[in-house]
Amino acid sequence: MSTVTAHPSRYGRFMTGLLRITLRLDTFIHKLYPTDFNPLYYTGGLSNLFLFILVLSGIFLFFYYEASLAAAFESVRYISDEVPYGGIIRGVHRYAADGFIVAILLHLFRNWFTDRHLFSRDNPWISGMFLLLFGGLIGFTGYQLVWDERAQVLTTMFLAMLRSIPLAGDGLAKIFMGGVGIGEGTLVRILFLHIVPASTLYVMLWWHYLRLRHPKVWPPGVWVLLLVGLVFLLAGVIPATSGQPATPAGRPTSFPMDVFFMVPFWLLNWLSPGAVVVLGVLLFVGGLAVPYFSRRETAPQMGVRHAGVAQVIDGNCTGCELCYFDCPYNAIVMVPSPGPGLSKAAANRTLLAVILESRCVECGICIGACPFEALELPKFMERDVRIEIAQAVQA
Amino acid sequence: MTNPKIVGFVCDWSVELAPLLNGNRLRDLPNVYVIRVPCSGFVRPGWLEDALNQGAAGVFVTGCPYGDCLNREGNFLMRDRVDQQQRRLQRRRIDPARLAMFAHGLHDREAFMAEVRAFSDRLAAMAGGQATPAPATEPAPAGGSP
Repeated sequence: MSTVTAHPSRYGRFMTGLLRITLRLDTFIHKLYPTDFNPLYYTGGLSNLFLFILVLSGIFLFFYYEASLAAAFESVRYISDEVPYGGIIRGVHRYAADGFIVAILLHLFRNWFTDRHLFSRDNPWISGMFLLLFGGLIGFTGYQLVWDERAQVLTTMFLAMLRSIPLAGDGLAKIFMGGVGIGEGTLVRILFLHIVPASTLYVMLWWHYLRLRHPKVWPPGVWVLLLVGLVFLLAGVIPATSGQPATPAGRPTSFPMDVFFMVPFWLLNWLSPGAVVVLGVLLFVGGLAVPYFSRRETAPQMGVRHAGVAQVIDGNCTGCELCYFDCPYNAIVMVPSPGPGLSKAAANRTLLAVILESRCVECGICIGACPFEALELPKFMERDVRIEIAQAVQA
Repeated sequence: MTNPKIVGFVCDWSVELAPLLNGNRLRDLPNVYVIRVPCSGFVRPGWLEDALNQGAAGVFVTGCPYGDCLNREGNFLMRDRVDQQQRRLQRRRIDPARLAMFAHGLHDREAFMAEVRAFSDRLAAMAGGQATPAPATEPAPAGGSP
């Protein structure tokens, strides 16, 4: 695949370098683990595992949390100090959130650098960008719910960002606060913005999996045990804590930093709120554009044949559904056959395979699945393979 | 000891072949002819059997490491198909050891070459008895005849 015939752009060479580094990392990991247990092969499953831990611990915390300015901080303290195992569950929620962000970022970069987002595979990428956006929002509102000094500063900063948006900014800030200033309605809204997007993540996951057959949604059992254990251990050893309670008069100027969720707020040290908003929007829009503009090289430059969308040969298709079961992208659907096929095997068929061209990534897995010679890749046909086999055995 | 004719189907995304190839053959093992395929899952198991019937001593398919298929499942599916094809070969009195499935990543050139060389040596040790049809009285054992 790296037989470079033409000269790729500087960006292309850079991305190829990243691909090679990513796979070099795998060879290193394989010295420690068999390939079945390489955690980098299961970054999506790891994210899903952390999300599951978050939902379970979040439901527990929800029963004790009170969304009001006066009681929020006290209810979090009550969870940590008085509810049996409450402090542990709070810590689990906290550290699983960090694990979630780490896992989805690994997932993003790995699938970016190994070209698993190109061509027809843009659907998981686009839904993944929305999952990332919502994941960040949920983490941010989670910090606000504690309603300590940090939460107060964060809210002030976030409001400054909202207000910097032209035209809609003031309205958005008002909606966020539930009035002209931070009031009794504010924390209810923040709680809503914490839980509803978290539920929405599962809707987006459905979208994320829509074009994947047998998605790997769960890591191997040993990794599940290890990571659940790690999260509990961290929660026990380094308990999640609150800062000072928030007071309307307090004007704290610094707070403990969290590298996973606080990056936009950290940038406020140097940039104006408006610039941070613009940067965020650019990053998000740029992220959405990645599958369409980040092609490192053309297919010939990559030494990969552009095989063309798989084609069903109507006369040979028996409607056996083998290709339909094996296609990793759900790109094949079975439809009622409009008429019998031409070959003997296809004479009594009831179904016919149809390729959804927009989903086909031209991998050819359906060709290997079909025992009836009813599928072809237009630019890499069975005839050519047979000619090559004949050449191979002749000499 | 003759060099057994070997046909290898190698996925475009698995082991980096450019430094290993001389034309369509491996430079170090000229008896191995490489056919590059877009994904190991592209290989139709019937082709493997055809290659054996047309005079190849052995056939192998190389995919990416299991779990790392660019197309998510191609190498797992191909592993299953190769297993199935080996059982089919056994029923047809063809030694299933003449068919193999390998999995190597971009940087695993040495491991790939070592595995192909071992495969080639194994086929050579079968001493040409397999190029002609095996005796029809009993199915050939999976390990190859002495």
